[in-house]
Amino acid sequence: MPTTNLLYIEDDIEIGDWVSENLRERGYDVTWLTSGEQAVEQAVDRHLVILDVMLPGLDGFTVGGRLKQHYPDLPVLMLSARTSIDDKLQGLKFADDYLTKPFHPDELAARIEVLLRRSGESPAAEPIQLKHLLVYEKENRITDEATGEEIVLTGKQFHIFTYLLRHLGQILTKEQIYEAVWNEPYLDGDKTLMVHIRHLREKLERDPANPQVIETIRGIGYRVRT
Amino acid sequence: MRRLKLRKPRKSLVTRYVLLLAVALLFIPVLIPVSFMASWGVNLLLDPKGAGPDIRPYGNGLDIEADWHQASAKLRDATPEVIGDTLRTMKLKYPDATMYWVDSKGNTQLQLPEQSDVPAQWTLEDTIAFMKARVNGDPFTVVAFIGGGEEVRQGFMVFELPRKFMVITDDKRDDGRFYGVFLVILLGSFVLLSALFFGDIRKRLLRLAAAMSQTGASGLPSPIQEGRPDEIGRLEQAFNQMLYKLENSRQREQEEENLRKGLISHLSHDLRTPLTVLGSHLYSLRQEPLTDQGKQSLSLMETKISDLSGLMDHLLSYSLLTSKRYALSMERLDILRLVRESAAAWYPVWEKAGISADIELPEQPLYWSVDAQGFRRVLDNLFQNLVRHAGSGGYVGISVKLENGAEALIISDRGPGMEVESTSHGSGLGLQIVDLLLREMNLTRKTQTSPAGTAISIYPLRAPN
Repeated sequence: MPTTNLLYIEDDIEIGDWVSENLRERGYDVTWLTSGEQAVEQAVDRHLVILDVMLPGLDGFTVGGRLKQHYPDLPVLMLSARTSIDDKLQGLKFADDYLTKPFHPDELAARIEVLLRRSGESPAAEPIQLKHLLVYEKENRITDEATGEEIVLTGKQFHIFTYLLRHLGQILTKEQIYEAVWNEPYLDGDKTLMVHIRHLREKLERDPANPQVIETIRGIGYRVRT
Repeated sequence: MRRLKLRKPRKSLVTRYVLLLAVALLFIPVLIPVSFMASWGVNLLLDPKGAGPDIRPYGNGLDIEADWHQASAKLRDATPEVIGDTLRTMKLKYPDATMYWVDSKGNTQLQLPEQSDVPAQWTLEDTIAFMKARVNGDPFTVVAFIGGGEEVRQGFMVFELPRKFMVITDDKRDDGRFYGVFLVILLGSFVLLSALFFGDIRKRLLRLAAAMSQTGASGLPSPIQEGRPDEIGRLEQAFNQMLYKLENSRQREQEEENLRKGLISHLSHDLRTPLTVLGSHLYSLRQEPLTDQGKQSLSLMETKISDLSGLMDHLLSYSLLTSKRYALSMERLDILRLVRESAAAWYPVWEKAGISADIELPEQPLYWSVDAQGFRRVLDNLFQNLVRHAGSGGYVGISVKLENGAEALIISDRGPGMEVESTSHGSGLGLQIVDLLLREMNLTRKTQTSPAGTAISIYPLRAPN
């Protein structure tokens, strides 16, 4: 199984030492740099970059901007010790996610997993178990664990399900799903998504009236979690 | 101002205007003769042969008189035939003249040409009446005694020439016919000069006005090109100087803002870095074999680190907000969408804290003019407070209700109410930031709290009519 290759840029020795050690323990291949000067060269063939905002010389925003310019698809997770109110505006323009110090290593690991999954970089060679379903992400295949039957989805159904899978564990609003899948602004009171979700559930759920795989979070949206 | 006194007078608009007026006033006496002269000059150019003395073909009266007397003087003791010859000779010289002579007896002799009004026999009364009538009359008349004197007694000879041959005849020439034209041209040029003078002032003032009202990329008008150094020129100068000062102060303000933001960023960084290190060591400690008491202490420390971090964020945000250093970009947004997204992010936290969410939001969007980031921050702070202080109620309700005729967003809990000191009470900074942000976004908050729970309504402030 190929290891996930992370580039970590952090100038504080104590924090950098601890975070990179922790991530290695979790099975990631981590390259830690103490400044952003070499970031662009070092980012080749990485799966994800963890970038501290406050860096000596080039600051994290500049480095992040350059990285995104060279590798638009490379996920960038910003770490910041600055006030969220002014950093978030600037940082999130290019960063894929954002974590404020101090953070718990479990939280960092969870965010990394979400980003990797979202970018399709997660080496999910093993199927994901979703209740009674086995999802083979790489092969775009879903089977029922009990019967072994393959479940075939239509284009839009597959699209919706993949989007939910990419954000495993996250609640997604109707607007977010619609706009990601249809790639056009969500119109108020549009029932299209609900119809598609209903059809999707008819295929995926044991009991579509009491869905387990695609949860409805009342008033907010939908969630798929393991 | 010293510079004002030193300026050259011709650079002043007043000077130019006074000069214009002076020229105009001086022109009134000068204009008329000059116009006439010009008119005459043009006439001369148009008709050069019309000028000169040949308009009096026989010379002036004195010449004629002398000639006539000279001719008569030569006729002493001359026979009537000789006198007649002399008259004929004179007639050749003065073809337009009428001449005759009267002998000593008063008989009219040769007439050239024959005239009816000349008496054939002159009486003394005739002679006196004739002389009286002809003095300075028309025709011009010369009477000479033949032989040069009355004592010779040879009679007299009369020369008559219509006055029209004597006066300067300019009937075909009118020197004044261009006078009006020149008067009009000169007056017109004065009017034109005045118009140009004021037109120029007007144009420059309008240009100045346009430059003042047009704003460039910086939100300030751009400097204008300075023209002539008169009053308007100085106004332009002053305008440019004012712009320069304004730009300077803008820049200073921007620098101050950046300095303050930088300070807060660095402060935040310097405070959070040790907290992160502290957290990392706590995390490492967890890997060690610990007693339950030790593990509990670790959890408490972790909670306190997280609280401290939140408090720092609040403190620094509050500092940014109160100093108006946080720029809001107001947009018309569907706030329900923002609420749903925020609730989606908080939902796992609520689940973990055993809080059940009751979210009852309408399908139709609710558009308010808000700053997306600021509104999210408001929701974050409210949800955070709810988890911290009202988690015991195990409930969060989010809905939209009509309150006082306006749609309000309601966030409610079943906690012990705000009157009760929460076990993890803070400084209330989170709520103060909420109020600051709401005020900046023209929204307001109303809170109803009781031991059975708290309901916070957020609705737009009505614009004062």
